[in-house]
Amino acid sequence: MRKSNSLINNLDWPLFLGFITLIIFGLITIYSVAFNEDHPSLFSFSEKYGKQVMWICIALFLGVMVFLIDSDIYKKFALPIYLITMSLLVIVLFMPPINGARAWLGIGSMGIQPAEFAKISTALLLSKYISALNIKQLNSKNIFLALLILLAPMVLILLQPDAGTFVVFTAFFFVLYREGLTFDPFLLNFVNLIPKVRFKQTWLGTHFIPILFVFVFLSIITLLFGEKNIPIIPGVKLYGSFGIITSLFLLAGISSFFVQRFGLKRARSKAQLIIILCFVLGSGVSLIVEKSFGSLAQHQKDRIELFLGLKEDPNGKDYNRYRAMAAVGSGGLVGKGYKNASVSSVKTNHVPESETDFIFCPFAEEWGFLGSLLLVGLYMFVIIRIFVVAERQRSQFNRIYAYSVGMFFFYHFAVNIGMNIGFAPVIGIPLPFFSYGGSSMLSFSIMVFILLKLDSQRRHVLR
Amino acid sequence: MNVENRRYVIIAFIITVGVMYTFRLFYMQVIDDSWSDRAHKISEKRREITPPRAVIYDRNQTKIVANKTYFNLMVIEDKMGEDFDTLGFAKLIGWTTKEIHERFDEIVKGEGIYYNKHNNTRVSNYQKIRPYPFLKELTKEEMARIAPRLDAYPGFFEEETSMRYYPYPNAANILGYLSEVNAQEVKSDMFYKPSYNIGRAGIERYYEKELRGLKGVHYVVRSALNNDVKKYENGIYDTVAKQAPPIQLGIDIDLQAYGERLMQNKKGCIVAIEPKSGEILTMVSAPSFDPNLLVGRKNVSKYYPKLINDENKPLFPRPTQAEYPPGSIFKLVQALVGLQEDVITPNTGFPCNKSLVGCHNHPAPNSISRAVQYSCNPYFYYAVKKVIQQGKEQSNFKDAALGLDLWERYMQSFGFGKKLHSDLTGLRSGIIPNTEFYNKWYGKNRWAFSTIRSIAIGQGEVKMTPLHMANLAVIMANRGWYYDPHFAKKIGNEPLRSFQKNTTMVDTKYFEPVISGMWRVVNEDAGTARRAQIEGIDVCGKTGTVQNPHGEDHSVFIAFAPQDNPQIAIAVIVENAGFGGTWAAPIASLMIEKYLQNTCSSPKKEARVLKANLMEQ
Repeated sequence: MRKSNSLINNLDWPLFLGFITLIIFGLITIYSVAFNEDHPSLFSFSEKYGKQVMWICIALFLGVMVFLIDSDIYKKFALPIYLITMSLLVIVLFMPPINGARAWLGIGSMGIQPAEFAKISTALLLSKYISALNIKQLNSKNIFLALLILLAPMVLILLQPDAGTFVVFTAFFFVLYREGLTFDPFLLNFVNLIPKVRFKQTWLGTHFIPILFVFVFLSIITLLFGEKNIPIIPGVKLYGSFGIITSLFLLAGISSFFVQRFGLKRARSKAQLIIILCFVLGSGVSLIVEKSFGSLAQHQKDRIELFLGLKEDPNGKDYNRYRAMAAVGSGGLVGKGYKNASVSSVKTNHVPESETDFIFCPFAEEWGFLGSLLLVGLYMFVIIRIFVVAERQRSQFNRIYAYSVGMFFFYHFAVNIGMNIGFAPVIGIPLPFFSYGGSSMLSFSIMVFILLKLDSQRRHVLR
Repeated sequence: MNVENRRYVIIAFIITVGVMYTFRLFYMQVIDDSWSDRAHKISEKRREITPPRAVIYDRNQTKIVANKTYFNLMVIEDKMGEDFDTLGFAKLIGWTTKEIHERFDEIVKGEGIYYNKHNNTRVSNYQKIRPYPFLKELTKEEMARIAPRLDAYPGFFEEETSMRYYPYPNAANILGYLSEVNAQEVKSDMFYKPSYNIGRAGIERYYEKELRGLKGVHYVVRSALNNDVKKYENGIYDTVAKQAPPIQLGIDIDLQAYGERLMQNKKGCIVAIEPKSGEILTMVSAPSFDPNLLVGRKNVSKYYPKLINDENKPLFPRPTQAEYPPGSIFKLVQALVGLQEDVITPNTGFPCNKSLVGCHNHPAPNSISRAVQYSCNPYFYYAVKKVIQQGKEQSNFKDAALGLDLWERYMQSFGFGKKLHSDLTGLRSGIIPNTEFYNKWYGKNRWAFSTIRSIAIGQGEVKMTPLHMANLAVIMANRGWYYDPHFAKKIGNEPLRSFQKNTTMVDTKYFEPVISGMWRVVNEDAGTARRAQIEGIDVCGKTGTVQNPHGEDHSVFIAFAPQDNPQIAIAVIVENAGFGGTWAAPIASLMIEKYLQNTCSSPKKEARVLKANLMEQ
């Protein structure tokens, strides 16, 4: 019989070590980027690395606190916690703006961003609400209430305005999808109008959320590459959607090969069909987006391009994206070596925010493709590990919460690295545990520690 | 569909994104080099360091061309800050605030406008984060007045530049000057960038490649604000700027300065050459100017228009580009050709028949040497007639054409009628009329010696530059050969070998009688250049008086000394000064004495020359 309160025995060590590794990598990179010869010590608190060390210590302290508190408290107090953060989100709107957004609460440089913590409290309340429903299928009223829990912080965050965190909140739709959210009830109303058709479910309705996100993702990539030529094979240049269709084709071919080689025999033909469908759908989306973008009026195009950061403006968003990509691309296979980032160090300052939102730049520049591969692998590991942890929970509350954390991680990873490699528009959201900054460090730590605590006590919950 | 299976959709979605990102990263970082190129462009700067130009010494190791440090007062507008004390700064540099604003406008305007085709906008090339020269070419003294208080004015800082400095206010026409390169030169030579200087005339131009040195290249990592952050790769690709080794010229700056002083208030030139080497000792083009007047933009814009508009043409390099009829000095060559062709002997006499060609009163020229001494026109009429009309053809006309071809070859062997090989640009060839010339003029077979007789006494169609005349003095001194007249003696420690010895078609043995005539010209009572006498030095010379249809005749004198071991050969031309013996001869003798003995035995002679003002009023 296990001792129920033995944290060491019940802690999910792979996830914990992944988290520690990311923090160490991040600190190493911040030390390189912000290095100041006058204060070479890692603990000089006048420098960004010193401050980051401080934030890490606070985060670990909070982690210990979280471990000491009984995990039931989160479920019990989910609503009060949610309401407190909501009121903070309201209060922050009356604060003086910093960099054009009223996102900061606090004194001087020691401010925090309530939006970061709103993620946790929303996740907790949503988990509590949905797990309490005790029905598999959500009805319209339930969905409405769930959406209300979700939309309240999203609207408040949009008012700051903070587009990045707003986008991150859409991660909850994936969580709802996992919990059974389906658009079939609406879709079937229309589909079954067709004579002799009596579907119980539709493919589109069930998987509406991932399909919608693939659609958005492909549209953005198509537009980002709209007028750039991408030499896939040296000498052959492909434009816009053609490049994406070719890439999709290659991707489909590779996955098809793997399915045929390693897939379960009975699932093979179905999987192949799905791959072909995905390819056709993806190519179709890409083509349609490109065509319809071409037919837009100039001012509409301008607005979209401005959002994506494609406008030719040396001091605009494209400036950052272009320079960030140059920094990443110049890393080569093995990188320029530690502390040798010439484009993205804070001293040269060619890439603004290279210690926060663009921290992937100096890392990729210094460690090259091998380093990037390691980092992407590490994030993939942490994210998938969170989902594995999520799926082994007995309580639905725990699982929903764990899925929320996993999806946050994935969003931050995908958007942040995506904007460094030209796959996402420049939206300022930090790379978890990597970017310099207290709010992000503390909120992600608390988020992960709560998850670890919940997981360590998963056996307490009776099925 | 079972809801539990949805976990696989999510996991597949996440893995797909991870794989796509990995491929993308592999493509950007490993396969596609263009990002790397962009990163180089963004973060690195190739800075070229131009070394100061090589210095130039004269034959006695006196520095005659040096470099001086100047300062540009640079400004970066972005660093000036909001509360910049414009009034205080204006006071510091002695301007009004209005002038300061105007100067900023001027800088912005000077940078031009960039037209972006893609979005039809015009953007000024001026960037607030870049340094621009606010004040250019300040001297050390001017900078010292500003520098101590510059800290109070952020955004302004000093930058060193190097410019030419000429310790002697002489030899401007030899040394030449620098000016900014034009677009064509930037295009054709990788060395130059806009605003670089290039040699425009004289030695500075001819030896441009030897003087400019090797540029150094520094690679630096720069910041977004265009500041240097550190050396790229610790400077392993950097090269050091290397100043070219000094050039030593054959000129004697003291002699040059003396020559320019003697030629003050006169037009004309002095060319002195060391006979045995062909090194030019002095080349005065009068009127002359201080070469420092053409150093730097400020000076050039102030003085260049004045010099170019001066009616006495100080910028015109007379010694190499002015062409004069040689006058009587040409008779020396005719005597030599006559002897070589064996149509006369040293003791041949001709009557001074003034009906053929005018002459002055003198004793009968009963030998070559006397003919030279008296500069007898009819004598050389007979002598040259014998060269040209040798009777080899029945027809007088055909015979003359044949004779003139031969005569032309002789003249060419003396360097006449062609550009001498030298290290100066823009040399003129002078004119030696040939059969082609006269056939065009008179028609074929429609001229004979009597038609073209004025060539015998160096008038008419014959033209020479003063350099040719000095070179004739060299040939006389060397008894039949000359080195290409040139300036450069050594580049670094390497003596120059590109200048050749040339031999004339006249044998050495024929020179003595002519030279004895030249000695008599100077040293005997009936000579035409007694003013050129120097006690203790055997000067050999020949006067010339060049008929000038536009005014007073030009006074010409060539000489070498001493007679037996010639150290200096000289030609002096004084425009509108009349007879050759009056002004050119004494100037030549003062120069010779100065060079050989560094003395002046006849202050009276010197004073007379210095006092003379022969400029046209």
